[in-house]
Parts: sequence; C-alpha cells; structure tokens
Amino acid sequence: MAKFVLMLPHAPDRYTKLGEAEFMDLMKDYIGWVEEMSAKGKFEGGEKLLDEGGKIVTNTSGSIEVHDGPFAEAAEILGGYMVINAEDYDEAVEIARSHPHMKHNETIIIRQTDASADE
Amino acid sequence: MSVASDIHKLLDETVRRERGWLISSLVSKFGPAKVELAEDVAQDAIVKALATWPYKGVPNNPRAWLRRVAGNAALDRVRRSAREFGVDDDWDFATEDHDVITPSLSDPELDLMVLCCDPAIEPKDQLFLALKTVCGSTAAETAALFFMTEDALSQRLARAKRKLKAQSGELARFPTRFALNARLPQLLKVIYLMFAWGFLPRRGDHLFREDICREALRLSDGLFAATEGEAAGHHALHALLLFQMARLPARISLDGQLVTLERQDRTLWDQDMIFDGVQHLEAAKSSDKLTRYHLEAGIASMHAQAPEWAQTDWASISRLYALLNARAPSLSVLVNWAVSLMMHGDLNGAEDALQVAGELAGAEALPTYHLARAKLADLKDDSASALAAREQAKSCQISAPVAEHIERELGLTD
Repeated sequence: MAKFVLMLPHAPDRYTKLGEAEFMDLMKDYIGWVEEMSAKGKFEGGEKLLDEGGKIVTNTSGSIEVHDGPFAEAAEILGGYMVINAEDYDEAVEIARSHPHMKHNETIIIRQTDASADE
Repeated sequence: MSVASDIHKLLDETVRRERGWLISSLVSKFGPAKVELAEDVAQDAIVKALATWPYKGVPNNPRAWLRRVAGNAALDRVRRSAREFGVDDDWDFATEDHDVITPSLSDPELDLMVLCCDPAIEPKDQLFLALKTVCGSTAAETAALFFMTEDALSQRLARAKRKLKAQSGELARFPTRFALNARLPQLLKVIYLMFAWGFLPRRGDHLFREDICREALRLSDGLFAATEGEAAGHHALHALLLFQMARLPARISLDGQLVTLERQDRTLWDQDMIFDGVQHLEAAKSSDKLTRYHLEAGIASMHAQAPEWAQTDWASISRLYALLNARAPSLSVLVNWAVSLMMHGDLNGAEDALQVAGELAGAEALPTYHLARAKLADLKDDSASALAAREQAKSCQISAPVAEHIERELGLTD
C-alpha cells in the first residue's frame, strides 16, 4: 500500500460568498467522505491551510526576498491537503473521483509519496 | 444507513443542539445586550469545526470540541475588554455550573427564550429571535419555516436585537413572575413552532428531526417545572407534542421513506407517550380558556387512539378543524380540514375549503395543498387533474425525503 497526497485547490472567493446553510451542506459532504474513507482504512490524515496570510521567499541572484500573501490575484489557492492509502495511481484516481471536491470544485492534484527508502 | 448519512445526521444534530446551548449559556453569562456577541462566538466555533473537520474527521467528542473552541473565543474577547463585560477573566466556560448564575428558570435555554419574548420586541420578531438563538435553527431554516426570504428575516432579526440591547436592565434580564406570566403564551408558541420545525423540516435531507422534537418537549417540561403549568393551553400543547412524537417511529420506513398517517404501522406508535398525552389532555380540560392547542391536541388524540385510518372519527375531526379554522385560520389548517371532510364523504365541503386555501399566499408553495387537491380529484375520478396537482406538489421547495415521497406518489420511483 502506497501513500498519495491529494492537494485541494479552490478559487479564492469559493467559500467567502456562500451562505451559512450552503457552506454547511458542502462541508457535510466533505466530512462524510473523510469518515467513509477512514472506515475503509483509506484516509491517513490531512491539514487545512489557513485562508489568510502566506509568504513566498525567493532567492533572486543571491539576495533573498520575502513576499506576503494573500495571493488574491491567483486563480486558485491551496485549501489544504489529505493523505490517502492506495495500491497505485489507478486506485488513487478512483478515490479522487469519489471525492466531494470534484463535485464542489474543479481540481485535485495527486502525488505519490516516495517511500522507496523507508523500509 | 451509510457512513455518510450517519455523519450528516450527527453533524446536523450536534450543530443545532450546540448552537442553542452555546448562545444560551453565553447570554446567561454576559447578559441580554450581548446576544449578538454570543451568536458570533457560537457561529465562529461552528464554522471552524466545519472548515477543519473535513481534513481531520469528526473529533471523538464533537460537543466538547465545540464548547472548548467557543469557550476560548469568548475568553479571548473577554480578556480584550474585561471591563466592558464586567466578568472575571479566569472563568472556565466549559465546566461552569450554569445553574448558579441563572436565577430565574434554572435552564439557560429557557431563560434565553424568556428574554427573546420581551414585549418591547414585536410579537412575530420575538418568535424569529427565539427560534434562531435558543433553538439553534439557521437563518435559512427559520426563513423557510415562515415562508420568508432570508433577507427579510435578517432585517427583522437585526431590529429585534437592537430592541433587546436597549432593554438590558436588570428587569429585562430577570423578569418578575408577573412579567414572566405575561410572556407565557409566546413561550408556548416558540415551543410549538420549534416542534413543527422538527416534525416537518422545510429544507435539507431530513424527513424529520427527532432531536429537535425532543428538545421542544424538554423545554415544555422545563416550563412546567418553572410555572406549575399556569399557562392556559400548556397542558394541551404538551399533549399535542406527545401525540405527535408518539407517531414518529412509524413515520419513516426501513429504507428511509416517508410513511403517511394513512399507511403507518400503528403498532410502532409509542403507547406510553400516547398515555401521557391523554393525561395532559385531561388536565387541559380544567383550563378556563380554550386555546388552539386544545383543538389541535383533540385532533391528534383522535388519530393517536384510532385503531386504523378508515376507523378514524373523521366527523369529530372535521368539526374540530372547523373550530380551529374559525379561531386560527391558516393554510395548513384549511388543507387538513379539507382532507378530514373528504374522508368523511363531504366532497363539496372539501372543495370549498381547498378553494379558500388556494387564495392564500403560500398555497402554491405548500406540497400538502397540492396533494390534498390530488386526493380530491382521485375521489372524483378526475385522473388528469390529480396528476397535474401531484406534478405541482413535486415542484415545491421541500426537504428531499418529502420530494421522494411525492415522486413515489407519482409512480416515478417504484
């Protein structure tokens, strides 16, 4: 069993414009999915990232510059990530298909963690 | 039930229950002028829960989680402006014994209900405010219960809160017994509406919300303890809630579908509750005032005690509905009256009642209105009108299981 990271981006104003009831309905879908995947042993964990703030540190020809977020001009911001267990990319994609993020947003980025040196 | 639908139910119940508890407890600590702050703190905690649980799953004790988060947020605000609140900044919200600081009814939720029913606030706004704060209903749910838009509701809520803020003297906080008695009719109305909301939610994916019905019953019980059942109609209201509650287990089929009274398995009805209901209805007879609760409880008791649908005393029920319509006319009273007339064989009377109903605002949006019309058309062998009415019922804005039920009535899903 390998581990895969699901990165969940969303439009910057995706949740701020929602009414309370709509937000609740949306989050119920997510929480229900996570509990279902946990029950199947597929969900490892995750973190929600804070919507506000964020820094970018860059090295521009030897001098380090720090830029503040938020990056409102960006088309999408990373809302958080989840780690799941799957045999291979096929299964990971299958799991991502059932993710409520695909119903309520557009994109999930899947990357397998490199565990080749772990054992 | 799948994991996901269990989780939906758990979240709905936890959020509703905790919203009411958090707001009530915070208001009992800070006073009525701080209703808005209490709502904000409760709301922030709930939003935080909903935003982070998707990445972590639901904590082992979601109630404790919410109380801790809301408690910390409240403490934060207290520390920032301790003088404004006039409370110590080392209190422990989650473990505090709220009974000690609540002198009037010894239940923060009941206390907040009394506060919301302040006569300085318009009677209808009192109900909105109480449902929104004490009962933990969302703006969308409260608006749907009154067939209002959310915008119209929030304007009225804002106005009500301004009035409450202006009334923040000691007397407003702890009304005298005399003032409390004057508010009892409104308190009963809040309990009645809360139960109605749980019994027939107008949005979401629940057929009914047993947790809300139980809470309404609990508040009614608490009010008995505080007032010795002095309010005219309180016994009758309590009987009504018990009769309705007794039937809940039969209202849902094993696969989660709505089962109407007509088709319910009556052996599933809770006979203990019906027995209690009969006792309260007896006690209600000694009231010197006949209230609408008497009439509604009378109707409910006849259903609760009928051995089957066909053997129901429709003649008496339609007479009670006629009385109810005379003193508290409403859309759903007219619709139910029409159905009882139909069952009694009075098709012309039923048609008249439905015609009056059809002229009221909101009729077009009420699925039971269209279903009653369909039933009447059935009895007149007018299948085209029946089908058209059922189609109209389907297009109403209703909770998902009720929509499914209408689909089934249409023969579309099975």
